[in-house]
Amino acid sequence: MKIFFATDIHGSETCWRKFLNAAAFYKADLVILGGDVTGKVMVPIVAHTGYWQATIRGEAVRMETREELARVENQIRARGSYPAVVTPDELAELSATEGAVDQRFSTEMMASLDRWLDMADGKLRGGEIGCILNGGNDDIFEIDELIESSPCVTFAEGKVLDLDGFSLISMGWTNPTPWDTFREAPEDELAAKIEAVAAQVPDMGRTIFNFHAPPYGTGLDEAPALDASLRPMHGGAVMKPVGSMAVRDSIMAHQPLLSVHGHIHESRGVKKMGRTLAINPGSVYGDGVLQGALIDLDLKKAKVRRYLLVNG
Amino acid sequence: MAAEAAGEAPTLFLRKATGLVRGWSVRDSMIYACLSTNVVTLGIFEFSYQSFFPKGQLLTAVLISAVWVSFLVIAYAGLIVTIPRAGGDYVWQTRILFGGLGFVMAATGWWFILWLWAPIYGNVLSAEFFQPLLATLGHPSAATWFAGHNGVFLVSVITILLAGFLVSLGMAGYAKLQKWCFYGGLVGFAIVLILLAVNNHADFVSSVNLEAQKIFGIHNAFGATNAGALKNAGYVSPSFGFTPIAASMLLVPMMMFYLLWPNWGSTLYGEIRGASDFRRVFIGMFGGLWITVLLSVLFLVLVNKTMGSFYNNSSALYWGAYYSAGKYASPIPIWPYPVMFVGWLVHNEVFQVVLILLMFLWFLAWVGTLFLSSTRVIFAAAFDRILPDRAAEVSEKRKVPVYSLILMLLPAVLLSALYAYWSKFYTYTLDATVVIAVTYLFSAIAVVILPFRKPELWKASPASRIKVLGVPIVPVAGVITIGLLGYNLYEWLTNVNYGVNSNDSLLYMLGMYVLAVVIYLIAWFVRRRQGIDLGLINKEIPVE
Repeated sequence: MKIFFATDIHGSETCWRKFLNAAAFYKADLVILGGDVTGKVMVPIVAHTGYWQATIRGEAVRMETREELARVENQIRARGSYPAVVTPDELAELSATEGAVDQRFSTEMMASLDRWLDMADGKLRGGEIGCILNGGNDDIFEIDELIESSPCVTFAEGKVLDLDGFSLISMGWTNPTPWDTFREAPEDELAAKIEAVAAQVPDMGRTIFNFHAPPYGTGLDEAPALDASLRPMHGGAVMKPVGSMAVRDSIMAHQPLLSVHGHIHESRGVKKMGRTLAINPGSVYGDGVLQGALIDLDLKKAKVRRYLLVNG
Repeated sequence: MAAEAAGEAPTLFLRKATGLVRGWSVRDSMIYACLSTNVVTLGIFEFSYQSFFPKGQLLTAVLISAVWVSFLVIAYAGLIVTIPRAGGDYVWQTRILFGGLGFVMAATGWWFILWLWAPIYGNVLSAEFFQPLLATLGHPSAATWFAGHNGVFLVSVITILLAGFLVSLGMAGYAKLQKWCFYGGLVGFAIVLILLAVNNHADFVSSVNLEAQKIFGIHNAFGATNAGALKNAGYVSPSFGFTPIAASMLLVPMMMFYLLWPNWGSTLYGEIRGASDFRRVFIGMFGGLWITVLLSVLFLVLVNKTMGSFYNNSSALYWGAYYSAGKYASPIPIWPYPVMFVGWLVHNEVFQVVLILLMFLWFLAWVGTLFLSSTRVIFAAAFDRILPDRAAEVSEKRKVPVYSLILMLLPAVLLSALYAYWSKFYTYTLDATVVIAVTYLFSAIAVVILPFRKPELWKASPASRIKVLGVPIVPVAGVITIGLLGYNLYEWLTNVNYGVNSNDSLLYMLGMYVLAVVIYLIAWFVRRRQGIDLGLINKEIPVE
């Protein structure tokens, strides 16, 4: 069985489209997206009489036709931001009213994901090609239900999924980050969550962990060391491990066949942890490049036949 | 959900999410650029080769080089903000040009050639630390031993072990040390400049004669050195100034030995990029480069004021004697470290030792990065399945990248032996610059063709909006950088004085490229047999 695993596309529509095409492109049987599906940035497009205006990467852009507006919206979406068309009054309200930005973000994220899932239906031939999605620590909880309702995409969080004789268990939660995001838990709680799912697995030798957080201290979790103001220290030259001890301990204790991770974009790599092959394909979603891992599993021998990290 | 609005009239909103980091301090970035273009360990060392182009003016060569390298800084700033990650040239070339080329250029320019940099670092450590320190402490024969074959080899091995140890420690602790070393080194440099400024030529002549007599037992070292340079090395130092320009241009390829590296450690993190990122990255590298240039100019001007032609003469005589195979000798038998001469202006041994130790901080701040780039390339190549998986293994207990260290250290020891014991190989010092310049050349080509090869990536990059008179300056800077590197490569490969274009040297460099190509081809075939197509690594998935 050939799996394509990618992660952390953060709202990049280019990466999503590539993800949907990955099965055909790499001749994979199954595609898995490991979490952090939604974007982090919303770009207001202000509607004035007869034109729209936005600032994109520091540059003012004026749009005078609906076609121009659509083109700019697509540009914004391609890189992982959400275009939000607002009147000047709405913009003022967004800035002034507490919680208004959050609410608008949620609306845009859900609308975008809904559109993405519609795209998936066509690309994945109505579920003929296996596609598994999960939330990550940066994803709001509302997306879970939306993904769950999709006919062609399987939502994986907290479940044991059977993949033709292999088991896949997924965990979008991570250990705490400096950003206090949605799915974070202290290490002991995270360990308990992992154990609750792992206990349901029939054969660890035929199991795949799909845990958003990479295992601590494995080289798959190296991020720039930050100071108290979240500024990279020493010119960005110093990296430090920021992965999860709970994830590491669970891999070492259970020794699944394969463990795939994301979360730390800079830490593309592979690590052998006992019998387990652990992979973080990293992410450069902002460039419109879909980094991923192609993994070929041997069903009979229950082993990883081959793997390759790709920049699609 | 916390939201953040940028400015009074918000142009974007951010929600709380991982990885939204602020830009790093420009000052940090500047310090790294300044340490990479290290005026003490690389600059002063390379200045001593002025006699190879005896009519050339160092001051002119430094300024022309710096102006030219400033365009390289613009080109690299463009690449860094367009594809901002740690892989540097490897990532840019594999993504913009093609995979195999990226590996060959990265392996040669960031890995294999570092084997040669190891003994060069060792030689500098010997010349700027062990030799002057032991001489100052009253052990001239030990100092001279360190200038010999065994001494250079021993110090090279020490350097390799030190650099390997620092890589094993990780950058966190070392980065702090680097910063303190930089500040301490600046204090030492300031003392050197002040002593040169407040003393006159007569003070210097009497100090050299007095201290050289005391340490080496040489009578009238000042006069003997100047006379020896003329008589034995046939060298006449040029009058200090800016002309002749043409002869000074020939020193530019030598100045690349220290001024070509302001981009050495630059990368960028963070996902929300704007025009300010280009400014920040550019100012970090540009500032570091021009701080080095400022220090170099002050140094050269004050050295000329106080030391006169002794500075050039002593170097010319030392290198002349080194390559004369024993036909004549330099009265001062160790490398003529100008800092040691400046220390002699104060007739106090403790002060002289402290000054050498302070200036040693420039070395300490710089040596830890020797194998850092190699480790990254080896890991990246292993993750790309070009090298065996084992190459990227890190020991569980000590967190040491054992196999990658072996791939770096063992060949470095071998090259150190060649460098120390085969004086012909010693002349290939500039090969270390040439090979990296070739790697840079392909990155410069990548930046020029970026707008055509990856138009969407280019349009989205802050670099595309940096324009002068409506023309994007990054690709233009790329063209000028190609000119800089092309000129230097032409000179290196056609002019015998750089020690690069002998048959053995060319074979040595060619051997590295062949090795990289062979590794890539073997990987290609082995992986193909395993059912892995390396051609897939950078193949773009269609969007539609």
